[in-house]
Amino acid sequence: MKIKSKSDLAARRRIGAAKITPGTPRIAVGLATCGAAVGGDRIYERLHEIIQTGNLDILLTKVGCIGYCKEEPLVNITIPGKPLVILHRVNEADADTIIRAVLAGDVLDDKALCRIPAWDHVTGHTQQYGTGFDRIPLYADVPFFRHQKKVILRNAGLINPEDIDEYIAVGGYQAAFQALTGMTPEAVIDEVEKSGLRGRGGAGFPTGLKWRITRDAQADKKYIICNADEGDPGAYMNRNEMESDPHMLIEGMIIGAYAMGVDEGLIYIRAEYPLAIQRLKHAIREAREAGLLGKNIFGTTFCFDIEIAIGAGAFVCGESTALVASIEGKTGRPHPRPPRLTDIGGGLWGKPTDLNNVETWCNVPVIIKNGSGWYAQIGAHGNTGTKVFSLVGKVDRVGLVEVPLGTSLSTIVFDIGNGGAAQKKVKAVQTGGPSGGCIPVRLFDTPMDYESLNNAGSIMGSGGIVVMDEETNMVDIARYFINFATGESCGKCVPCREGLKHTLLLLNKILAGKGTKADLETLAILVDTIQATSLCGLGQTAPNPVLTTLAYFRDEYDALVRS
Amino acid sequence: MDAAKKPVTVIINGRRCRADAGERILSVAIREKIAIPHLCYEASLDPYGACRLCLVEVIKRGKNEMTTSCTLWATEGLDVVTDTPDIVKHRNILFELYLAQAPKSEIIKKMAAQYGVTKTRFFKKVNPADPLGNACILCGLCVRVCDEIMGAGAITFVNRGPYTVVNTPFSEVTRDCLGCGACAKVCPTGAIRIDDLEGERVMTSWSGTRVPLVQCRACGRFFAPQALAAKTLARLTPALAGDVAALCPECRGQQIAEREIRAKTGGAGNHA
Repeated sequence: MKIKSKSDLAARRRIGAAKITPGTPRIAVGLATCGAAVGGDRIYERLHEIIQTGNLDILLTKVGCIGYCKEEPLVNITIPGKPLVILHRVNEADADTIIRAVLAGDVLDDKALCRIPAWDHVTGHTQQYGTGFDRIPLYADVPFFRHQKKVILRNAGLINPEDIDEYIAVGGYQAAFQALTGMTPEAVIDEVEKSGLRGRGGAGFPTGLKWRITRDAQADKKYIICNADEGDPGAYMNRNEMESDPHMLIEGMIIGAYAMGVDEGLIYIRAEYPLAIQRLKHAIREAREAGLLGKNIFGTTFCFDIEIAIGAGAFVCGESTALVASIEGKTGRPHPRPPRLTDIGGGLWGKPTDLNNVETWCNVPVIIKNGSGWYAQIGAHGNTGTKVFSLVGKVDRVGLVEVPLGTSLSTIVFDIGNGGAAQKKVKAVQTGGPSGGCIPVRLFDTPMDYESLNNAGSIMGSGGIVVMDEETNMVDIARYFINFATGESCGKCVPCREGLKHTLLLLNKILAGKGTKADLETLAILVDTIQATSLCGLGQTAPNPVLTTLAYFRDEYDALVRS
Repeated sequence: MDAAKKPVTVIINGRRCRADAGERILSVAIREKIAIPHLCYEASLDPYGACRLCLVEVIKRGKNEMTTSCTLWATEGLDVVTDTPDIVKHRNILFELYLAQAPKSEIIKKMAAQYGVTKTRFFKKVNPADPLGNACILCGLCVRVCDEIMGAGAITFVNRGPYTVVNTPFSEVTRDCLGCGACAKVCPTGAIRIDDLEGERVMTSWSGTRVPLVQCRACGRFFAPQALAAKTLARLTPALAGDVAALCPECRGQQIAEREIRAKTGGAGNHA
């Protein structure tokens, strides 16, 4: 059934609501890739088997991931009238006792992580679950969650990502409806501009401005592309956004396409994300069936559809010009800008093209739904909104963390992450992947915003935070990232191709104890040139891990070289 | 676009130079005989920006910004300098990288020496089996001219990053090579080896691909690759094609001249 009016949308909301709180117990297994990797699939199968053979009146479903990786596998229990309870560290053998408890209207105390009596989906919809289970801690009292603010991950781990009805039930597609039926394209762009949203791919370019440039470009055809080629080691927030809430991305793209006057969009996603690809394909199909993609969306004259383009595993294809070359079937090698993608002759098939990161698109629906004023008061001046970070490495509480921009590193690593794993002392973090730098613990009051991170010699990047403890050798860390960047260099320009190779050789020599003071000087001079003269962002930023470790951990280099 | 052809004045090292709007600064500098080193530039191809040697600094609102002059477009009043201390510093490192990458290239050695770089601190790569004689610097001119100008696409980049090389697909003999030799002609380091044997041209650097040559029916000399000749002939009028097909340029010139003289002098051809 195609959704053409407010009442059609409301009807779908009721269908979805009956799935989220079905009137019978609902068990939902966290099944993003992370959950499946630690046995979530087997738990799901076992629960399914018990429910089937016992012909039990329990709704079993899949949800995405709420982001607390350390505590996975996670299973949500919803008993009518009771709060939603998240069970943690569940395994297959727990299935029988979980079901037994559920049938008795209860949950396993020793497995309960927290309870959620009501959940604000940030779309004007608050999902009421119920009361009781007072002995179980509240969601907001769990230290890992307490300092977070869920805007992008508002639905992650709570709704079934493979069911459009559940997304609609928690307020989904209302923003798109509002934009397409009640706003001019200019008004949508104005709203995005006023929100202060900046590109979440790392560079932080104002999204509204990019949209305006694309809208103003004079051409018979334009494209929008979602960059889902997330490839930084340790970064997986985009994967979870797509696996846990694919319709959020699609809704963002529909609104963007309408604002820019575009009828064709692409999601460029890496082949290494098979589950995200599968869920996106499914979500696109659902959206088409509901009349939210394709011709005459919401019964308006606006037409737009999305195709998926799968990357072949090159990190450099996240660079805009290489990404477009890859979609066109060419080798993924960047070309000099201008022309930029938004220029005539510069984008896909030579047409003006707007490229935004997954998370950038995901911000759009709530901006339209709640208004730019609401959005702009989250975060810091010039750095509005929240950002999802993947907190990994030698940190106690590993997971996806969503906080307002401007939150300090110390809040993220110590308050949310609980410091080093196994009580070790934290020494530094690496932000922004191979393009980022290492920030020492003494600079942990650095707010996580685009400018402060740049001043510290690092970058926001896509949001990876890799924690290092006292046992980490920082020279080895630099080598790891240089090795990565060397292997991912496309090989076009000399400083990146040859320069990174020699940087790696020098670091190998130093780490083998064969380096000299002269090698250290050569290293510093070389990375300076790579940064200054490389053709694209990959080469220009690849030296950052070396530059920052040289600046902040020079003693570790000195200790390795002969005088 | 006519707008792009608009004449503008750019300033290079303080000297005012005429240019077409949209012309590349490196092209202006070459015309004005202002020395800027470069390896991957070719006027007939699109800007590429891979060799990074043609660095200049653009003076914009008192701030200097370094960029490559082959990708920098001329606009009215554009002010650039070619030899700031920063440029010299980075360019010298780039030359050192080239000396390590192509240690057997005399052209690179000579070019680097012109800018005062005679030694490299970096590990020199020497592969005795390199079909390009350890002289290739991966500027991509051969690949681009083969594809974009000749339309053959016989050679390409293989692998990526530091493992990149140029060769035929799978390093095997290719039928796509026309044997035109444009690759060797544009190669800035003379790395590509082509050997003309009796009756055929051997693309020694390109997996030993052999291309048969056309023999001149007049003098018996082998003069052009058959595949290239066939491609060229297809574009000519049949009247002209007859002569071109089987005569080498010298014999063709001679025979056409004789024929024209005969026609003008009524077939006598005798000036006595």
